[in-house]
Amino acid sequence: METLGYLIDGFGVALAPHNLMFALIGAFLGTLIGALPGLGPANGVAILIPLAFTLGLPPETALIMLTSVYAGAMYGGRISSILLNIPGDEPAMMTCLDGYPMAQKGKAAEALAISAIASFMGSLIATIGLILLAPLLAKFALTFGPAEYFALFVLAFATLGGITGKNPVKTILAAAIGLMIATVGIDNTGTQRYTFGVLELYEGVDFIIAIVGLFAISELLFFIESRAGGGKGPMKVNKLKLSWKEIGSIFPTTLRGGVLGFISGVLPGAGASLGSFIGYTLEKKILGSKGRFGEGDPRGVAAPEAGNNGASSGALVPMLTLGVPGSGTTAVLLALLISMNITPGPMMFTQNADIVWGVIAALLVGNFLLLLLNIPLVGMFVKLLSVPPKYLLPIVTMVAFVGIYSISNSAFDLYFMVAFGAAGYILRKLEIPLVPIILGLLLGPEMEKNLGHALTTSNGDWSVLWSSGLSITLWALAIIGLVLPVVVGPILRRRMKAAQEKVG
Amino acid sequence: MKCNDRIFGLLMLVLAVAYGWGAAQFPEPFGGSEAIGPETFPTLLAVVLALSSLYLIVKPDPGSKWPPMRTGLELLIAVVVLIAYVLLLQPLGFIISTTLAVGTLCWRMGAAPIRAYVTGLIAGIVVYFLFTIGLDLSLPLGVLSVLEGS
Repeated sequence: METLGYLIDGFGVALAPHNLMFALIGAFLGTLIGALPGLGPANGVAILIPLAFTLGLPPETALIMLTSVYAGAMYGGRISSILLNIPGDEPAMMTCLDGYPMAQKGKAAEALAISAIASFMGSLIATIGLILLAPLLAKFALTFGPAEYFALFVLAFATLGGITGKNPVKTILAAAIGLMIATVGIDNTGTQRYTFGVLELYEGVDFIIAIVGLFAISELLFFIESRAGGGKGPMKVNKLKLSWKEIGSIFPTTLRGGVLGFISGVLPGAGASLGSFIGYTLEKKILGSKGRFGEGDPRGVAAPEAGNNGASSGALVPMLTLGVPGSGTTAVLLALLISMNITPGPMMFTQNADIVWGVIAALLVGNFLLLLLNIPLVGMFVKLLSVPPKYLLPIVTMVAFVGIYSISNSAFDLYFMVAFGAAGYILRKLEIPLVPIILGLLLGPEMEKNLGHALTTSNGDWSVLWSSGLSITLWALAIIGLVLPVVVGPILRRRMKAAQEKVG
Repeated sequence: MKCNDRIFGLLMLVLAVAYGWGAAQFPEPFGGSEAIGPETFPTLLAVVLALSSLYLIVKPDPGSKWPPMRTGLELLIAVVVLIAYVLLLQPLGFIISTTLAVGTLCWRMGAAPIRAYVTGLIAGIVVYFLFTIGLDLSLPLGVLSVLEGS
């Protein structure tokens, strides 16, 4: 019942008028970001971080706004999957399967409304799961020593590629690069490391600059390369005709999808792609011949949407309780926490209880707002889809520049950001994942600190890192996390692709 | 196209060696050496990076194609525009440099020149007033500051 008390306090924070206002702004901006071509959720949240700083928002308000952006971007991303058969990100692939056929039958508005309702249900279920599970996990995490934390960080990197990831060696390589960038600067013994006497490097590399550069600027370069500046023609949706009976018929589907999604969100390495995939395939199995999957069955839209939103809320569990994010976007949210001087992890539940519970309550409130916002305003968001990227992306890049400039007022940071952007483009060309680099930048200092503590207590004996049952388990999981995708990954990816091709 | 990964692996191997060598050069911290020093973690990272880049050299993935010369040039222009933007931000001021940078980028991405620079100008003016009046943050006015006095 302790939890309930905290939750009520949390609602007190989330429903405070100015927080509610920022949640609404966040939800609106998020849907906008999700709907606009060429801006993924991680990208959008990254660009908005400097703006949250310049607004001088208190930590809980900034976090509430950006969680709403996160949730909103997930909503907005569905619009292009359904109307254009272009998934905005990997988890959205499964939504195309039945969403696009529905749109072709002139039921685009219904498909969008169903995906909004299913997303809402998925998030709702997963947020309830988060409320129940997070405090337990946080309590458990208090028993972790430095050796366990070090193993946990390794586990986070090992599973980051996810079950559908391609080459685990590239994940490790990317993580090493990120961690190496994190070592630049003056360390806690006062030693200058890799600063080359450059004053601006003494305090290390600011990860917000790295994130915005790697995501936003490399995206601009990718668009230039693919010459996709023209954009799509204007889009129209039909008038919404959805009866309560139809909503009722997808209800069991959303329940199943939400629960499955939550589980795969919490598990390291599974993530939203798997959530939506399992949600869809299971639904197909359960309904069997009763459903017309692949031809525009509303339940085929609802299942992956509930699964994927369940997973994205579920992914907040490891991020909040252990300080270990499981996806790109949660990594960006972690960046925000660290830069607000809040150390994520189990201590946060006791030291910053108001922030944690405020954010959890904000997730619930945000989802309500999104549902209210999305059904009537969907026509407007659909119009955004036709904004040509050739005007949009240069302006977004400029806003990112202004955001960074306004926190530091330093041209050096901007040059650095451009350099990160060019590097990001090359790395993406080489299929080196960017998220492990960012995670390395974020977790580097904590990882080194924990390694230091562990080795100091053992007088330099490295075996301390795998001396407890818990740490051995974590190491074993990390190894499984690296090996499993090599075995299972190709099969899963082939199946997802096969399902996609059958429709297209 | 397997050479992509090979070349990258080679570069990363060089980086790993240089980074590891750098770690060995750190001066001993005040108070003598302990179980773990400033060089411990970097050395570990250098080893990890060296091993994974060796793997890439030995077993490269089939890489993706690099853009043709013309597109490569466009990309280079974009990066140069961004650098020039930073360079001109102080002397020319925010509005003029934004007009130039956003305009050039829009134009190079396929917009008609006049529409591109008008977009840049409008975006620059809107963001300038949003930040200076709405958010109370100063952006450089540059050469336009002569207007301020009048």
